[in-house]
Amino acid sequence: MEFYTSSKEKRPVRLSEETRRFAYESLNHKYGLDTLATPYITLDGYGDTGSLQQLLRMYDAAIGAIVENAPVRVCEHELVSGAATLGQAIGNSVPVLISGLSCRFMPGNSHLTADFSEVLAIGMDGIREKALRSLENHQNEEKKAFLRSCIHCIDCMRIWRDRYLDELKKRPWAERNIKNLLQVPFRPAGNFYEAVQCIWFCFAFMRLCGVWPGFGRIDVLLGGYLKKDLTDGSLTLDEAREILAHFFIKGCEWITGKETYGGDAQHYQNIVLSGIGEDGRDVTNEVTYLVLDIVEETGISDFPVSVRVNGQTDEKLLRRVGEVISFGGGIVAVYNEDTVIRAFERMGYGSAEARNFANDGCWEVQIPGKTRFDYDPFDGLLLLQKITLRDYDGRAVFNSFDELLEKYEADLKKHVGIIFDSAATPRFDGNMKHIRHAPCTVLSLFVQDCVGRGLSYLEGGPVYEIISPHIGGLPDVANSLYAIKKAVFDDRLVSFPRLLEILKNNWEGEEELRLRILNGYRYFGNDNDEVDMIAARILDSFSASCEAYDRKTPARFVSGVSTFGRQVPWASERLAAPFGRKKGDVLSGNLSPTPGTDRDGATAIIRSYCKADLSKQGTGAALDIGLIPAGADRESAVTDAVGLIKGFAALGGFFMQIDTVDRNVLIEAQKNPQNYQNLSVRVSGWNARFVTMGKDWQDMIIERTH
Amino acid sequence: MPTATVFDIKRNSYVDGPGIRTTVFLKGCNLRCAWCHSPESQRAEKEILFYRDRCVGCGRCAGISVKDENFVCYSGAKEICGKDYSVEELAGIILRDKVFYDATGGGVTFSGGECMLQEEFLAKILSRCKQSGVGTAVDTAGNVPWESFEKILSCTDYFLYDLKCVSPDLHLAGTGVSNERILTNLSRLCASCPDRVIIRVPVVPGFNTGKDELEKMAAFLGTLRFKKLELLPYHKMGEAKYAALGLEMKAFDLPSDELMEKCEKILRGL
Repeated sequence: MEFYTSSKEKRPVRLSEETRRFAYESLNHKYGLDTLATPYITLDGYGDTGSLQQLLRMYDAAIGAIVENAPVRVCEHELVSGAATLGQAIGNSVPVLISGLSCRFMPGNSHLTADFSEVLAIGMDGIREKALRSLENHQNEEKKAFLRSCIHCIDCMRIWRDRYLDELKKRPWAERNIKNLLQVPFRPAGNFYEAVQCIWFCFAFMRLCGVWPGFGRIDVLLGGYLKKDLTDGSLTLDEAREILAHFFIKGCEWITGKETYGGDAQHYQNIVLSGIGEDGRDVTNEVTYLVLDIVEETGISDFPVSVRVNGQTDEKLLRRVGEVISFGGGIVAVYNEDTVIRAFERMGYGSAEARNFANDGCWEVQIPGKTRFDYDPFDGLLLLQKITLRDYDGRAVFNSFDELLEKYEADLKKHVGIIFDSAATPRFDGNMKHIRHAPCTVLSLFVQDCVGRGLSYLEGGPVYEIISPHIGGLPDVANSLYAIKKAVFDDRLVSFPRLLEILKNNWEGEEELRLRILNGYRYFGNDNDEVDMIAARILDSFSASCEAYDRKTPARFVSGVSTFGRQVPWASERLAAPFGRKKGDVLSGNLSPTPGTDRDGATAIIRSYCKADLSKQGTGAALDIGLIPAGADRESAVTDAVGLIKGFAALGGFFMQIDTVDRNVLIEAQKNPQNYQNLSVRVSGWNARFVTMGKDWQDMIIERTH
Repeated sequence: MPTATVFDIKRNSYVDGPGIRTTVFLKGCNLRCAWCHSPESQRAEKEILFYRDRCVGCGRCAGISVKDENFVCYSGAKEICGKDYSVEELAGIILRDKVFYDATGGGVTFSGGECMLQEEFLAKILSRCKQSGVGTAVDTAGNVPWESFEKILSCTDYFLYDLKCVSPDLHLAGTGVSNERILTNLSRLCASCPDRVIIRVPVVPGFNTGKDELEKMAAFLGTLRFKKLELLPYHKMGEAKYAALGLEMKAFDLPSDELMEKCEKILRGL
């Protein structure tokens, strides 16, 4: 029973044999396949979806049907109970079939970190009290209907809890599980074990109802409970590790081994560790290290872990991060909190709020438990090709490089306006009030301040609301512009109209010129200031373009940089690129160099990436780095990972995910997937078991690995 | 203004000394190790490498010579191996990664070839790096006059000193030179700055892996004080470069994990 690693060295063993077996079974699809067995609950007699009011009634009935009928799954000797057992929920939709129709019109929601601190402190009963008070305070009928739905959903949760109690009572080993579930989540958590059970139960309930929430700062949430238990001797560190491990193992209950779009672990359930707290002090505690222990031992990648680092981060923590990274799996990524906090302060968040940042369950940053987040991705390279260079049809004429660059910036600005008009404006009525939306009550219970305001997550309940245009293909844009600058305007290898003609013909018959342009210049990712500053300038003007629309609605409008995996589907829409790439090539991911153009190693990549002022990207800009797995000298590989992280922080990076994987192993895994079921890779804000990704996604991962 | 002939610069290297390093490879060597993995490092003169399988037959390289050091073959088939750098040019590249050296106690490593053959330049670039607060290391086979070490002693933080074997005949057969000077220099170096010497032994099956030789090496190592001993397993990654130079590569077996363990045991006197 071994957990996959790309390192020569075996993963350490700290957990009990029983817990390790549980992890092994879970990772090998046992519970995922069980979850698929019951895809949804059927509900009849709700044919009319005419009004939102009716839709809310239908939603309430759906939640009621779920808690009454979803299979109850108790795994032998599980330390933490509750399970999201309906297959359609894996796809982020409410798993109910109403009068034969899929309930997909009810949004599942993702890209947020839920607030677990409130339920830990006051329990679901406390939240119910709050909803009752809110019901008294609000006169508006729509708000009242929403709040009644809140109370209904909490009552549903109790029914579901009671079914677990009934099942657990049949198990002689489950005394402690029962005791815990009689306390949490309805009453406040009093110790570490209860706190873990509380968070898990609420998380599983949200997932069962089709929501994909992220966790945020789990060490901040749990650290105080553990400290108290360790101090009064009621729990040992080893016991705490076992309990927390079960939380991670339960989180694998959606692993099916089946091929899905971006791999089978993309459920936006990120965890954030360490960093400073609201008071500016380091929050790192025993829980921080327990999480690293668990992912290091089991290789569980379903809760992608990000560690917040800064210039003062403890060397001990950095080394632990380096050690975990060197086992492969891409589980641990890093935020440079100096840049993130600066970005948030620039946006106008108060210091305490900014210091508390987490992510949205993927890697985009937000204020946890209080934020509605949406992003609008677009292909910056396609914009250059289709709009600025007009499909290469010859109508675009530029007499200098500056003229071209300025035109691209103007086109980018215009495009940002189009996104604002299509994404932000329609969300509000003439009075800048949210227009009504399909129900999402379960999620709203866990986001501040939906209950207090009497408004759902999608109708203005959250304290903060963010809409973020995300530019993709930015390194490809910089490379394209730089190639034109050098080949056309500086070195005069080819005239501008002729180059466009060649590009239109996808470099046909021009292999020599293509290779000359592709290999004769040093592109983004090689620490070449000339091209890196083109990228930096475009990023600046992109964020300025977004700022022009910020605060025009109640939703903030801020820029970010990402592709996640979109570079794969984008490849077929794009034309040939001026820097020697052909139509159909999969190009840059996130803010990482275009595959194949980076030749100077990881330090040069980080330097190129850090040249822009990344604090202007309010929701983030990610860099992916691939490292070769450690050979005999693992110590040096760990030092390297630590050094790259420290350099990344010192140079002003934002977010970096490091994967350690051998390209040849990936190619081998593509051929013989049965031998690599648990080979996990970092995709973007999530990890995926490599063999469950489609072939074009696998190829993308192989190509970007050096 | 002295210049050096450099055949490669590798950033984010972490196997040639402590921390994150930039390794600068200087061209020219006075050993001809049969297992050498960088045959292009051996001759001091610039050379042309030709990777036949990458050639697209464009003909642009017709008539080029090693003097055309800015020539770029766009398909990567022809490479002019060896480029001249001034101290300042090289320092500029090295300093780019200073933040990473500072984070890890790393720095720059001069390797080769035998970098100590370009001793004047080496002394200048080492002291230039030290001036800018960059840690320094010199990777050497040690087959140079002791005076060459004296010249760089004050500005070299670490010596990565190759020890291939101790039997002179074996050394001559494997590298083309005898090793008396090499061993004497190593002893002197260890005597003068033991904390700065990292001894590296290439493990080449069939050359230095016999029990007798390993024991002799262990005995010699037992007379020295040094910081660290590293064993480097032989590998065949230089194969394509031999072909590109039109040379035959003498192939050795790859050392098994068991063999590496055996060598570790004997050499470390465990």
